[in-house]
Amino acid sequence: MWKTILRRILIMIPEIIILSILVFLLAKAMPGDPFTGSINPKADPAQIHHLMKINGLYDPWYQQYWNWVVHLFHGNLGNSYQYQEPVTRLISGRAVNTLWLALFTTVLTYCFALPMGMYAAKHEGKLPDSIIRIYTYVTYCIPFFVILVIGIWIFGYVLGWFPTTGSVSSTANPGFPTIASRLYHILLPGILGALFGTVNIVQYLRSEVIDAKGSDYVRTARSKGVPEKDIYRHHIFRNSLLPIAAFAGYSITGLLNGSLFTETVFSYPGMGLLFINSISYRDYTVITALVLIYGILNLLGTLLSDIILSIVDPRIRIQ
Amino acid sequence: MEENLNKHSDISAADLERLSKEAQDEATPSSSKIIWSEFKADKPAMVALILVVTFILFVMIASLFINTPKMMETDIMNYNATPGSNGFLLGADTGGRPILQQLIVGARNSIGIAIGLTLISSTFGICWGLISGYFNGYIDWGMQRVYDFMMMLPMTMMIIVLVTIIKSYNAVTLTFIFSIFYWEGTSRLIRSRTLSESEKDYVAASKTSGTGSFKIIFREIMPNISSLIIVDTTLSFAENIGVETGLSYLGFGLPIQTPSLGTLIANANDPNNITQYWWTWLPAALLIIILCLSISYIGQVVRRAADASQRHGISD
Amino acid sequence: MSLIEINDLKVHYPIRSGFWNRITYSVKAVDGISFNIEAGETYGLVGESGSGKSTTGKSVVGLEKITSGSIMYKGKDITKKSNRKELDYNHDVQMIFQDSLSSLNPRKRIEDIIAEPLRNFEKLDANEEKLRVLQLLDIVGLDADALYKYPHQFSGGQRQRIGVARAVATNPKLIIADEPVSALDLSVQAQVLNFMKKIQREFGISYLFISHDLGVVRHMCNNIAIMNRGRLVEIGTRDDIYNHPLHIYTKRLLAAIPETNVNHRQEHREQRLEVEKIYQEQQDKYYDKDGKAYPLVQISPTHSVALPEDLVEKIKHEGEVKA
Repeated sequence: MWKTILRRILIMIPEIIILSILVFLLAKAMPGDPFTGSINPKADPAQIHHLMKINGLYDPWYQQYWNWVVHLFHGNLGNSYQYQEPVTRLISGRAVNTLWLALFTTVLTYCFALPMGMYAAKHEGKLPDSIIRIYTYVTYCIPFFVILVIGIWIFGYVLGWFPTTGSVSSTANPGFPTIASRLYHILLPGILGALFGTVNIVQYLRSEVIDAKGSDYVRTARSKGVPEKDIYRHHIFRNSLLPIAAFAGYSITGLLNGSLFTETVFSYPGMGLLFINSISYRDYTVITALVLIYGILNLLGTLLSDIILSIVDPRIRIQ
Repeated sequence: MEENLNKHSDISAADLERLSKEAQDEATPSSSKIIWSEFKADKPAMVALILVVTFILFVMIASLFINTPKMMETDIMNYNATPGSNGFLLGADTGGRPILQQLIVGARNSIGIAIGLTLISSTFGICWGLISGYFNGYIDWGMQRVYDFMMMLPMTMMIIVLVTIIKSYNAVTLTFIFSIFYWEGTSRLIRSRTLSESEKDYVAASKTSGTGSFKIIFREIMPNISSLIIVDTTLSFAENIGVETGLSYLGFGLPIQTPSLGTLIANANDPNNITQYWWTWLPAALLIIILCLSISYIGQVVRRAADASQRHGISD
Repeated sequence: MSLIEINDLKVHYPIRSGFWNRITYSVKAVDGISFNIEAGETYGLVGESGSGKSTTGKSVVGLEKITSGSIMYKGKDITKKSNRKELDYNHDVQMIFQDSLSSLNPRKRIEDIIAEPLRNFEKLDANEEKLRVLQLLDIVGLDADALYKYPHQFSGGQRQRIGVARAVATNPKLIIADEPVSALDLSVQAQVLNFMKKIQREFGISYLFISHDLGVVRHMCNNIAIMNRGRLVEIGTRDDIYNHPLHIYTKRLLAAIPETNVNHRQEHREQRLEVEKIYQEQQDKYYDKDGKAYPLVQISPTHSVALPEDLVEKIKHEGEVKA
């Protein structure tokens, strides 16, 4: 078990190294430089030349990459040219917002999906099952950003129930009101994300429960007179729980990808919005750091899921 | 051998012809035939199919009559014209550009890219999955590592970075950039089916019959997973509409002067537009929803046709 | 010279584990077997499921990657892919599979299925090819209207005959028949087997007949090898195996053949129980300390058995006494 995890982590290392080189080169290949026009519109070319030079931007790429990696291991991701602030500090502030929203969405997703999946399986082939199936398929096939735009239009602007921008109200007092305000700001994106992200869990849980319903151990329990409710709660649900939990890891990829859209629509200051802004300003240091972080988070999510699944299903462990 | 065999030949050319004809009649229907009869049996699916096909044909043809550069010129006089005024059927945006015409050209662009993306990424994904699943050992191992690596990449971010690097890109280059990142789902699905298909004895029989690996992959195994391929391609087409429009919405898809459903929805980023001038973005949003729903519905019907036990139409 | 010579064939499947995923253990599906198949004969390979007999068959036809040993055909070792290619090996050696449904591509018509080896190994024009396919169908007793049908339109027995027709198509010298009838009804089994025999008479084909059913093997084979746990435990003629079995495993297999004569049922049952008792008591004597069968020792010109030296001496002695 531990060996499997350790080996998986070892396999991750070359992947991360390749990703970092790739990202670094791509960022270097981006046109323009971070200085022209950003310090002072009338900046003298010689001065920019000087700035480029002291920042090491004329060194060969491997030199620059090596310097970058060395700094990376000292916890130093460089300075953001746009914000004139250390990237580590800049991103950690934003990361909290993104992860907070992602966590909230995940929890809500499970709250919606688990009862739906169980209910659909219980009433397999009947009306509730069809309704849930149609629901999951409708939510699955509509592009998420369209939902976000329509959602913010109806609930944010027309009805005015939710804030349409930011992560916290600037007037909220410290302490509890701040937390409440933060929660209020992620409520709408969280609900939308959860309502439209149930499809995998619902379908998996449904088929899992339907399989379990016909299995020998459930029939044995039933013939022994165990109440139907207990059969579902203790026998069927518990068995499906771990594989379902494994989806949390895989869903990280989707959530992070979605964060670019969610944060743009809701002007929510997380890593996704930071990335979009940094692209326009050619803020290399921030861009490379963000892509790397997203890549590593994707890897960790997959790793987490694989670990959970390998606990459930020993067959996977051999590979 | 020869004489032995000739003892057994007493068949005339006329017999052959008659037999060919008889057999043609009772042959198993092909997947496309099964799918077509499924559509005939399911009225809403037929409606969705006709709707999608007619719409695609309409935008393709209608956009030919629209002069895009002229349409995209700013027209201060008709700044945010309301629907129905000044001959603007669906109004105009902040630049005074007609929404209806933009919608038609934008739909053409978005659908065109989605079709191109589906063709390229599905073809690539299918080949990748087939080859990776058929050859076990080092080839599969290597291909799996590449797959893992691609899965780790933050797709949208990578596309945005690539789009900013390439100075002059157009719909074609954009389609290729998207294709780099959207073949994994298909390849994974196809690989797992190929793995189980390769275990079957007919593949072993083909090997001992001296058939080469690539012929086995594409002529023996692929026809047997054709229904899966059709289903997956239809569903990825619906998904792929979201890919380009999403990036254009963020401002990293098609260039500003090339309308897309995504750039139209991006009008909603302006708080004024989203509430007051709703006609600038809402039609595009609704269009995407209807399009995606119809295509996915068609995909569901195709899937049902592929899964023999659930068919509404003819049975085997 | 024999048609095909198998020398010390080993097929091991590695099990990887441990931190570096190194091979720590291997499943020895086939663990050092040798036998020869003569031209025109039917060689029976018998054993319970999991004994490695199918793996052996697949190795001979070139479907399995072997670990060590050699399979000689026309003086070349055909375990190497280059040699197989050079000889057009599968033109001469074909296979009939156990599961007739899965061995026929459901998307292909019978014509294309039977013509597949012809298209690869023999250049025929369209008419010649069609004629040959029709002749082949006729040989296995199927009508010409089978030509354009699909596999699922036939019964199991018919499908297996199609499999036979495909295997015979290139007029091979050897056909590996991997449990060709075990998936069929008893009544259909005889039919397919008779077609196989008829083809053998007409074309002089050799069979490597793999089966777990000693009843069927008796009907088909002149020479028989008994396989157990990846090794051969007894080789002999039909007479040697059925009338003078020496290894306890062979005796058990023979005792397991159902008795059709009801009058002798009780007798048969007692005999079976007795063999089983001996097996339980003397198991150690017949296998070495790792549970592997001993190397084969020749008892008579045709008969070899895997027994330790002392037992062999005893048996030889007894034989002389009897004689």
